Amino acid sequence: MGSYYLRRIISAVMTIVLIATLTFAMMHSIPGGPFVREKAVPDEILKALNEKYNLDAPLYIQYLDYMKGLITFDLGPSYSKIGTSVNDLLEAGFPTSAKIGGMASLLIILIGIPLGIISALKQNKPIDYIVMFMATLGVTVPSFVVATLIIYFFGGKLGWIPTFGLDTWRGYIGPVIALSGYSLSFVSRLTRSSMLEVLRQDYIRTARANGLSEFKVIAKHAVKNALIPVVTYIGPMVAAIMTGSFVIEKIFAVPGMGRYFIESIGNRDYTTIMGMTVFYAIFYIIMILLVDVAYSLIDPRIKLGKE
Amino acid sequence: MADSKFVFLENNTEELEVARPSLTYWQDAWRRLKKHKLAMIGVVVIILVLLFGLVGPMLTPYSYSDQSNDYRNLPPIIEVFEVEEGINLHLSKDYNMFVVANNGELTEKLSLNRAKRDVINKIYYYDLKNGEEIKLDFSYNLLKDKQGYDYDFTIEYKGIEYKYPTGNKFNRSFPFGTDDLGRDILTRVMYGARISLLIAFVATLVNLFIGVIYGSISGYEGGRLDEVMMRIVDIINSVPLTLYVILLMVWFRKSDGLTNIIIALSTVYWVSIARLVRGQMLSIKEQEFVLAAQIIGVPKRKIIARHLIPNAMGPIIVSMAMMIPGAIFTEAFLSFIGLGVSAPQASWGTLANNALPGLVTYPYQLFFPAMAIAITILAFNFLGDGLRDALDPRLRKG
Repeated sequence: MGSYYLRRIISAVMTIVLIATLTFAMMHSIPGGPFVREKAVPDEILKALNEKYNLDAPLYIQYLDYMKGLITFDLGPSYSKIGTSVNDLLEAGFPTSAKIGGMASLLIILIGIPLGIISALKQNKPIDYIVMFMATLGVTVPSFVVATLIIYFFGGKLGWIPTFGLDTWRGYIGPVIALSGYSLSFVSRLTRSSMLEVLRQDYIRTARANGLSEFKVIAKHAVKNALIPVVTYIGPMVAAIMTGSFVIEKIFAVPGMGRYFIESIGNRDYTTIMGMTVFYAIFYIIMILLVDVAYSLIDPRIKLGKE
Repeated sequence: MADSKFVFLENNTEELEVARPSLTYWQDAWRRLKKHKLAMIGVVVIILVLLFGLVGPMLTPYSYSDQSNDYRNLPPIIEVFEVEEGINLHLSKDYNMFVVANNGELTEKLSLNRAKRDVINKIYYYDLKNGEEIKLDFSYNLLKDKQGYDYDFTIEYKGIEYKYPTGNKFNRSFPFGTDDLGRDILTRVMYGARISLLIAFVATLVNLFIGVIYGSISGYEGGRLDEVMMRIVDIINSVPLTLYVILLMVWFRKSDGLTNIIIALSTVYWVSIARLVRGQMLSIKEQEFVLAAQIIGVPKRKIIARHLIPNAMGPIIVSMAMMIPGAIFTEAFLSFIGLGVSAPQASWGTLANNALPGLVTYPYQLFFPAMAIAITILAFNFLGDGLRDALDPRLRKG
């Protein structure tokens, strides 16, 4: 077991190094460099800038410096926000994104899974149809449309929630709902189909034949097994949601990571783009590792390391 | 063995079954797909959307880039003041006065009488063709808390004051309304269908091509090569793909947005197909007909192309149908954060993005592109479900 985790961690680290290298190569092969503006920058200033950010050093030295920085988790200065480091931006943006993302994830798990279970148990009854109708709607309407509709109706017309910012607790309602909409629908569909599959299994019939109460059959035998594919989806999803959906943050004017990321794309702020990508990748890989651990907890049949 | 052990059977016609016409795999799949009602609805809707995008723009009198300053921000349903039989007036949210025909066509934008306008008291005058004068008083907006008035402006014609619109008319000139530059939204949504579907189809086909080749080589060869190739797929898969599409878009920022977005989408999303195809290959290559082909010396390339891929086609097509809505989503998302096709070209995503600033006043500008996206994705989802049931019965759910 221990050696399995060791191998997983080593391969995760290698993946991160690879991603960092690839991102570095991509960002440095963009023609023009980070200081090319529509208005030509005087040569002396350009030279001074390059010197300041060590951009005149040979590429491999820049690469080694960047990697050295990565080990100590120093992602370097932002090129377009003078005096701010990428770490500063992350520190400013990530907590907000994580707060909204955490709430959205909770909402998805606490509502999506039960809805899926209920509609599987009541298959082809009205409640099943209602839930599945909503869920189908949820996966077909893009999140930015949901978000704008929320702003339009609940923010503008009814005035229940603010149309931007997070000053009060009401400010969280819009982003959290818009952020969770798609995944909530997806999770409830996934839970439902997985539950239906499990309910047909022989061991469920055996459990019933042995006279277990219906609650025990569902809760102990069915749900536990039905959740395995759901966990697979939820792991990476949490990572994606926590690091901030770019669109939702843009629409609700939430000062999170996504907004900085979009801004840095617009400003061609290469260090920020690189830093955020690497940060995101690390987060994502850790989440996938956690999913594997969760697997072994839910399903004792899965023995890690013996593939 | 002695010949006596073999006995000729008599031709027994009675035991012959009534043979049904034998169906090939594809005929059988088509038969099952036709029974799937939602999938057929999906097919019909997709065909309609394709027609909408391909033929539609030829039928409208406008082009997607025609701008007109006079006809900005006109809604699809217009509030009119019928001041006289046949003379309907409409005041747009930008305070432009229009004459609307009874059938809902916008016939004329009235010009403001600049000499008589009273900017301080917010009273404008317009001259009608029949020589009459219209007085527009929109000072009510300036009153603090509007002092109980529930209307924003009044129109006076021949001494009669109109406070509330007398009716609504469908906008015949611009059925979906116009955007902030006076472009016809119907034309732009049609044109957007072209762009969005083009991106989705091309990207999906390229992904399919790469994924099928990659996966079948990896699965057929097995061993070391398979391990290395799948490791690469694992690494690509452990990166959030949207992020890489964004990076790629930033990377080749310079040239045309349409090509970039297609390239970016096609270089990333093939990994799931590669995995799927590899899995299929692993099981199919163990079957006897492959062994037979190997024994008679069919070259590897031909075995893969002739024997393996056709047998794995079912799941491949299913995942293709599921990939197209994904591509539409991603494209809309990219356009929405400003990395999409460049103006004046427009995809559904860019249309939605453009509608955002004026959302509260002009919600219809978001409504139509958003509806187009939702309907198309729904149709592809239905078709995908149907194809899955028809082609890949093992995956059937519920």
